[in-house]
Amino acid sequence: MATVTFDKATRVYPGTERPAVDQLDLHIEDGEFLVLVGPSGCGKSTSLRMLAGLEDVNGGAILIGDRDVTDVQPKDRDIAMVFQNYALYPHMSVADNMGFALKIAGTPKAEIRQRVEEAAKILDLTEYLDRKPKALSGGQRQRVAMGRAIVRQPQVFLMDEPLSNLDAKLRVQTRTQIASLQRRLGVTTVYVTHDQTEALTMGDRIAVLSAGVLQQVGTPREMYDKPANVFVAGFIGSPAMNIGTFDVTDGKAQVGGASITLDRAVADGITPADGGRVTLGFRPESLDVVSSGSEGAFEVDVTLVEELGSDAFVYGTLKNGGDLHAGDSNQVIVRIDPRNVPDKGDTISVTIKPEQTHAFSAATGERLG
Amino acid sequence: MTTPVERDQSTERPTVGAPFEAARRTPPAGPADRTAAATSHVLLTFGAVLVVVPFLWVFVSSFKTTKEILASPFSLPADPSLANYATAWTDAGIGRYFLNTIVVVGCALFFVMMLGALTAYVLARFRFPGNKVIYNLMLAGLTFPVFLAIVPLFFVLRNAGLLNTLPGLIVTYVAFAFPFTVFFLYSFFRGLPHEVAEAAQVDGAGEWRTFFQIMLPMARPGMASVAIFNFLGLWNQFLLPVALNTDTDNYVLTQGMAQFASQAGYAVDFGALYAGVVMTVLPVLVVYVFFQRRLQGSVAQGTFR
Repeated sequence: MATVTFDKATRVYPGTERPAVDQLDLHIEDGEFLVLVGPSGCGKSTSLRMLAGLEDVNGGAILIGDRDVTDVQPKDRDIAMVFQNYALYPHMSVADNMGFALKIAGTPKAEIRQRVEEAAKILDLTEYLDRKPKALSGGQRQRVAMGRAIVRQPQVFLMDEPLSNLDAKLRVQTRTQIASLQRRLGVTTVYVTHDQTEALTMGDRIAVLSAGVLQQVGTPREMYDKPANVFVAGFIGSPAMNIGTFDVTDGKAQVGGASITLDRAVADGITPADGGRVTLGFRPESLDVVSSGSEGAFEVDVTLVEELGSDAFVYGTLKNGGDLHAGDSNQVIVRIDPRNVPDKGDTISVTIKPEQTHAFSAATGERLG
Repeated sequence: MTTPVERDQSTERPTVGAPFEAARRTPPAGPADRTAAATSHVLLTFGAVLVVVPFLWVFVSSFKTTKEILASPFSLPADPSLANYATAWTDAGIGRYFLNTIVVVGCALFFVMMLGALTAYVLARFRFPGNKVIYNLMLAGLTFPVFLAIVPLFFVLRNAGLLNTLPGLIVTYVAFAFPFTVFFLYSFFRGLPHEVAEAAQVDGAGEWRTFFQIMLPMARPGMASVAIFNFLGLWNQFLLPVALNTDTDNYVLTQGMAQFASQAGYAVDFGALYAGVVMTVLPVLVVYVFFQRRLQGSVAQGTFR
């Protein structure tokens, strides 16, 4: 068991100007489950591969425990990795796949057998130990890859999108299995995913990366309730947060015909660089449907209603114009009562629940207040 | 958990019959499909006959005396005997040539596969200055006509004291099979998923172990096909031994057969000649049949989803 520290770790791929990972500063506690999350190309896999030793570190350092491993070969780092496509050895049986690392380390045969069998029992693989990987299903292969990591009893587990090749149902199931297994074993784990749901459900803490730069680290709750900037606000949460940039007059933001009073701290935080504008975000569940003409309400034209049984979401556009959208879509999303659903083409009035507005600088995107 | 599944099967089996299943899976062949199938079968049969019949004729004739062959070429042997094989093996020296060929081709094959795999692996998987240059030199080697090299090779081998020796021939064979081997295995190693090599690294394997215990076994189908090509090419090699290996004791099979067929002028012992042909061709057939199984089935199935 050990802590993991990225100390201004930087990776620049040969022939590129911009670093793939730019001065990453991150400390992971002993036994912690940390999820690196971000859109594709954000540097999360590169960070993991730097920790594994599969990628050179061009600046800064990486520590496992107190040991500087920046220039240490992967084989000497005492880590185990689960790859996205599992990377099982196709010509070896499941047992040999799982015991390969121990065999190299010179562990006695009886002990290898015993440890492999223990891991197989945990992962429900006992009856497949003599099979080759090609004779296994996707989920079973995934478990073999996990087994290969846990028989080693390493200091750190590294997982690079281990669930992305599974179907949706199996993914949800395996997600909880991995999380509970990690808690049981208590091994420090760094887990890479592009799926923010996976990140929120599995991690003790989440680190969001974008364009090689660490945006925010925190518990799932912190990330959701207090995103540090516009990127994190838009990335974490499903459906995504509604975000728009609005004019501010007399400390009030003009949102689709409604005036929304800004907090004192927010209003004071607006600088001349923002040009008298502020970026506001509010989650779909932070909106209440009200009767038209209510105080602070703005109107939304309904273009689509998505019913999920327990919830229903309205997708629409601001009636009085204005740039307000959730994620990559150009629509506003409102969570509504599934028993009282408007029709397509209707117009609904909504207000923002008190204290549930996130305000960001229009110029820098950083959180205000 | 298990009961509903069992019930499902028992209710399904009588109602959904096998013919119905089959009909649903393969749509009935249209007339165009049938014409195409018939045409290809006719052509393939013709091709097979063209190859198999002469060989069968040689095989049958190898059990007949020369007189019998000339008198009734298409009859079955009246008194089948292995006398021709004995004559060819001992009197015509096919036995000795056979052994020479096995030694030369076997050694050359071992070295060229070993060196070729190592070279291709390094060129395909490691970046270093000069990597491309070396690879392109290999490609250039592929286009180099053997005839141009014969005379220089003769002098090189003579100066090295390897002319007319089996090691000299082995070295030459290795050199000539090398570019093709590297060229073929290069693309093969490139195609192997590099995560597997990385997994081995993380598991604690060094470069050598990764190569011999992980990558080489994964490259087995590629190695097998290159080995077949090389075996066929080297086994049937004629020009190089004729030029560089003129000592009768060191003759390889092709030289031996050529000598056997030409030395007797019109008084050729056809029975023994055919026996020699059969003995020459048989190993090639055996190797091909043996390796063909290995060619089938793709690589790295376990690594993909």
